[in-house]
Amino acid sequence: MCTVSMSSFAYFFSESLKGFARNLSTALGSIVTIFLSLLIIGVFLIGGLVVDNIVNSVEDKVSITAYVADDASQEDIDAVENYITGLDGVASIHFTTKDQALENFKNSMTSNPEIVDQLDGQNPLPASIDVQLSDAQMVETVAGEIESNETFQKIADNPDDPSDSLKYGQKTVDRLFTVTNYIRTIGVALVVLLIFIAFVFINNTIRLSILARRKEIAIMRLVGASNNFIRGPFLMEGALHAIIGAGLSIVVMEVLRRVALPQIQSSLPWLPINIPGSSFGIIYLMLLVSGLVIGLLGSALAMRRYLKV
Amino acid sequence: MTNANNQGMPAHASHSAGAKAPARPNLTAQLSAQLPDLDLDTVAQPSGTPVITFDHVTKVYPAQPSKPALYDISLQVFAGEFVFLVGHSGSGKTTLTRMIIREIKPTEGHIYIADEDLSTMRNWRVPYLRRNIGTVFQDFKLLPNKTVFENVAFALEVIGKSRHVIRTQVPEVLRLVGLQDKLDKYPDQLSGGEQQRVSIARAIVNRPPLLVCDEPTGNLDPQTSRGIMDLLERINRTGTTVLVATHDREMVDNMRRRVIALDKGRLTRDQDRGVYGFDV
Repeated sequence: MCTVSMSSFAYFFSESLKGFARNLSTALGSIVTIFLSLLIIGVFLIGGLVVDNIVNSVEDKVSITAYVADDASQEDIDAVENYITGLDGVASIHFTTKDQALENFKNSMTSNPEIVDQLDGQNPLPASIDVQLSDAQMVETVAGEIESNETFQKIADNPDDPSDSLKYGQKTVDRLFTVTNYIRTIGVALVVLLIFIAFVFINNTIRLSILARRKEIAIMRLVGASNNFIRGPFLMEGALHAIIGAGLSIVVMEVLRRVALPQIQSSLPWLPINIPGSSFGIIYLMLLVSGLVIGLLGSALAMRRYLKV
Repeated sequence: MTNANNQGMPAHASHSAGAKAPARPNLTAQLSAQLPDLDLDTVAQPSGTPVITFDHVTKVYPAQPSKPALYDISLQVFAGEFVFLVGHSGSGKTTLTRMIIREIKPTEGHIYIADEDLSTMRNWRVPYLRRNIGTVFQDFKLLPNKTVFENVAFALEVIGKSRHVIRTQVPEVLRLVGLQDKLDKYPDQLSGGEQQRVSIARAIVNRPPLLVCDEPTGNLDPQTSRGIMDLLERINRTGTTVLVATHDREMVDNMRRRVIALDKGRLTRDQDRGVYGFDV
């Protein structure tokens, strides 16, 4: 079997460019759908990295916060503090008063002082007992024991459901996961749908290209052009659409990284978004490769149906 | 391109093979070794190795299972021959020519082109078979957006010939068909006869040993047809085997060449068989 030489590669390229000009609208359609599906894939990959970062940082902070009702007596608080100190796996405890809690909140909101202004001098934040653990594995056990303590149940911020007054990393992580799982499912469904649409568009574009060139194809077959030579321009066309679509999505992702991410970071300072540039490089490469797979597969499927060689 | 494709295909085939060609090509070599050289003088030209061999070929199209397009056709065409394939519309001429370039496969039987069995030929080899067979059709099949030169050059471009080869071979072949002054014309600026000359030039520009024409004069008036036939005869004289399917019996009889007649898919007449010792 003959190998396709450099000059025929140039021929494929110029022919695929002609096909591009011939069916501009359908070509744009396939490029845009590839672009959108790759962009969504890329955004979700970045989102996944952010969630991973959050999960890691939350798990680093192995502490339990027990919120205490405003009207709790100092005796009860002392009793609960003593009880918690005596538990296994507890390293230290620290009591945060309502005023301190407000102060902490104000400090974390320096970039959005208007939120603090809206409090109108009120203090909605409860006092809390912060429990530092010596062993991260013990979080669930210690939390369970605090929850079952009768005195705590009495002074808990939410007496109806004492467990609601206990905040610890695992819970945040779990909640994060339920939310991200929903988002992920929606994202995957969206990507599958978009890839399907991209296939339909590529299929149609390549079909039109084949139709437009059917006379040339018939002659090529008669004079003995090799099958690869006949297929080349169409594969090239699919690949070209894919590369343009992937390039667009990479450009948009890079703009998002440079412009949007710093803004998100400054408005949500507690969100650890610092993603290394190398991760972006890998994601861009993945986008390019998956775009090429979509483009080549799409045109290969179209050729199977419409191009007899 | 492979060696197998070349065997027996060169236009100036060796004249060592005997008069009685065997039905099976693999016997050719044995037989030609056995036959004495003195045969050469007694056998009328052309002789040599079979370029086309049909071995009990039947073609049934799925649309008409009870009416075979070709039924039990056996024939041989030798290197350097000029053969007319005649018959009414629907007699199977086009089916036969399309089988030679393996556009379609026989339902039964075998077709050999220069020792190669087309029914066992791998699909990817088919283009290399077609590089050795020039084809000319009634509807010319020229690209309207290319000039005469570009149309002929296209046939060389798509099989990967270098620009140098194209620049020397295309003007040469266009001179042969008498269109040296119309290189830059577009097909719709030419007459029907001139367009058919372009398509013949395209068919022979790669110097194939075999030229297959399906109704080459079907669209042309008698005078122009005569010119096309003269051109085909001239190409045949350079050693190219030429097979012309046509329903123009008068022309065929005037030219006094070998004639194979098909009627409703059956081979009914092979006028020159006595001369060639055609034993089918």
